[in-house]
Amino acid sequence: MIITLLLQLAAASFGTIAFSIMFSVPRKYYPYCGLIGGGGWIICWCMVNFLNVSNVTGTFVATAFVALVSRISGTSLKCPAILFLMSGIFPLVPGVGIYWTVYSVIMGDMQEYSRYARQTLNLALAIVLGIIFVFEIPQKGIAAIAGIGRKKEKKS
Amino acid sequence: MDQYDKFVLDTAVKAGRILLACGAEINRVEETIQRIARHYGMDASSSFILSSGIFLTAENKKHEIYAQVKHIPLARVQLCKVTEVNKLSREIEEGRWTVEEAWVHLEEIEHMAGKRAHTRMAASGLGAACFCYVAGGSVWDSLAAFIAGFLLYVFIIWAEKKGRVKSKIVLNIIGSFLATFLSVILFKAGLGSTLSAIIVGSIMPLLPGVSFVTAIRELADSNYIAGAVRMLDTLLVTGGVAIGVGLVYILYHRLTGGIML
Repeated sequence: MIITLLLQLAAASFGTIAFSIMFSVPRKYYPYCGLIGGGGWIICWCMVNFLNVSNVTGTFVATAFVALVSRISGTSLKCPAILFLMSGIFPLVPGVGIYWTVYSVIMGDMQEYSRYARQTLNLALAIVLGIIFVFEIPQKGIAAIAGIGRKKEKKS
Repeated sequence: MDQYDKFVLDTAVKAGRILLACGAEINRVEETIQRIARHYGMDASSSFILSSGIFLTAENKKHEIYAQVKHIPLARVQLCKVTEVNKLSREIEEGRWTVEEAWVHLEEIEHMAGKRAHTRMAASGLGAACFCYVAGGSVWDSLAAFIAGFLLYVFIIWAEKKGRVKSKIVLNIIGSFLATFLSVILFKAGLGSTLSAIIVGSIMPLLPGVSFVTAIRELADSNYIAGAVRMLDTLLVTGGVAIGVGLVYILYHRLTGGIML
């Protein structure tokens, strides 16, 4: 179980880094992008597999995590938060849902189609809500969290 | 309007143009333009920014009016340029740049080389392979997805180079058709065992994660026009990808006389 978890984490992290290369993020931010993307996916994966939460809830929490960490690192590293958010969100994009929706349309199975289409839409909405919730937190709050992080780093 | 004021505003608009073309949000563009203009002494400027254009008017103390309209086509996301302009505007506010220096630096940023073509191809392959694994594939499935994702970007870069394929929708349909087709061929040749995971991985580089995230952010900032444009972009690209995948399935079904994949 732990090996699977680590492999999933590694795959999601390297996938995120690959996408951040495609969006030409400066090289020194690759590790942050990888950790944020991988962390988001692992949160979603653990919630679905260990806590028996639905996919949608897992995606919502994971998106909120990705957006929050992106904003905090954006503030403390003094660069735009979209740098991390754009590629970090990719593991959560419902590519599987889109595929099965198309597949069931081609198969002519309308029941499956409506199930997958609804699920894909719900996942997209979960991402929307996750991002909006975090971006409505005022900048002051984020700066306070980032400030605490920096003080701790200095002490240690 | 004297030369200096005009130069300041030109610099501000140039910074805004680079930001917008490389995928920054409207609020950031607006703020950067205002910040640069204000720092060099143009207080009363007002800007209106859409995701494809900048409209700026400004008035100096002698009541002379300056106006500029710039059209900005949607281009490839290049976050390194956004970072650089962001850093520059921060440093301008700290008073470390004169206008002339800032202009020269912006010029440098604009012509900054992006990632090389084969780096992007390899990145696309790696991304496809990793997300194939995340979507439940085995290592062999990931290898198939790597090949399909790599070749997909060979095609995309070829098409982008001289504007060979003009329409973004057509580009996405052909791209996802190609990726699915390659996945099916590799699968039939015996590489990999889960076709769905291979296909999901290999179409991943086409999915519009960026415009989706930008759309949400614009809507959250209540920039409804920019948000709606990006959301439409997301829907069209996703639709194109879906059509490409569907086409391969239908063709396979017809050509083999009713065998389903």
